[in-house]
Amino acid sequence: MKTPGQDSFEGKILALLPSLRRYSRSLTRSDADGEDLLQDCVEKVLARRGQWRGLNLRGWVLTIMTNLYRNGRRQTGRAPFVELVSSEDIVSMDPPPDPLEHSRLEDALNSLSEQSRSVLMLVVVEGYTYQEVATALDIPIGTVMSRLSRARQRIGERMKADNVITLRRPK
Amino acid sequence: MNEINQTVTEADLHAYADGRLPEQARARIEAWLNDNPDDAAKVAEWSTQNAEIRSLFAPYERSADGDAALVTGSRQPANWPKRLAAAAVVIVVFGLGAVSGYYGSTLFEKPDLQLTELETLPNEARNAFLIYAGEVRHPVEVFADEEAHLATWLGKRLAIQNLRVPNLQELAFKLVGGRLLPVDGRPGAMFMYEDQAGERLTVLVGRNANNGSTSFRFASSGNVETFYWIDGELGYAVTGEVKRDVLRKVAEECYRQFPS
Repeated sequence: MKTPGQDSFEGKILALLPSLRRYSRSLTRSDADGEDLLQDCVEKVLARRGQWRGLNLRGWVLTIMTNLYRNGRRQTGRAPFVELVSSEDIVSMDPPPDPLEHSRLEDALNSLSEQSRSVLMLVVVEGYTYQEVATALDIPIGTVMSRLSRARQRIGERMKADNVITLRRPK
Repeated sequence: MNEINQTVTEADLHAYADGRLPEQARARIEAWLNDNPDDAAKVAEWSTQNAEIRSLFAPYERSADGDAALVTGSRQPANWPKRLAAAAVVIVVFGLGAVSGYYGSTLFEKPDLQLTELETLPNEARNAFLIYAGEVRHPVEVFADEEAHLATWLGKRLAIQNLRVPNLQELAFKLVGGRLLPVDGRPGAMFMYEDQAGERLTVLVGRNANNGSTSFRFASSGNVETFYWIDGELGYAVTGEVKRDVLRKVAEECYRQFPS
């Protein structure tokens, strides 16, 4: 198999793949969904390479991935409160220190709307500034802040609620 | 409470928890948090969430065996780029319209009609959007590079002479292509458009049993919004997950371009 040159478009995308893989997984509910989104995104990016304006390749790709994610979630009929994936699906060389806490966190993330989730992940995982999120998603910065706030509140509620069930009302 | 700190907003607290503030502003927020334990607890909770979320996904930042094959396209069938041309404005035409110059005034001035089709059109448009706009590789049957064929074919199936595919380039939406699909139990057409960021719209066209016309109507379900109208023997619906004013411009442009 040929390996693309570092300076070629393919080579630049190849160099971005690890961080793209992290972002795609942060938006999705399982490793398989994360890889599917990543592959769809790379296909799309290669097909639209002519539209890239030569600046901030990563930002351009992350925006395309975010849109693909939102399109894909529509297709699955929006089930934001279904918790599909638990920690055993996480294939990782370094297992998280507390699998139970991470599993609960994933459940809480899976309860977010895709809009809130993409804002949260761009800020927390990808290190975007609020203004960068607003630009990437073409939404006002006030909307960024309200989605971020909603996401954090919801996660906090879910994590606390789970605690109550675990500690006081074991099934 | 310290007067200097009265301007601390929730946005400031988020920016503090996310480490987005310069040193001076940080100090100001820290002073505020010392006096406001509820806010301090909130910020602590967010910081913990941040750390846990990063730790959850950090292991995924890695290369995989198939990465080089992925970017060189060797995993894909040879013709994949063409099939990816993806934009989704779906236009549903509801039936053939004897809609010659009779409707000169704008849609917004037309009287509303109560038609049963009015109930099914937005639902069918929404369903078509949900099903097809998410398709990455097969969003349409005929892609934009065969636009003439697309228009002829769908025009024939819907019995519309000189069916024209709306051009939405001025609104920054490019045609992805179109497909045949049932609308209210009869052959209908869907056109899909896409902007540069991959946001899709669909335009549906279907036959309308009762001749008549309506104003633009608007239906919203979740984040999916639809503008629809009936113009003579045809019903139209424009659907997307975009801002309502954008969608309305698209609807008006389609209305302007469809034969009447």
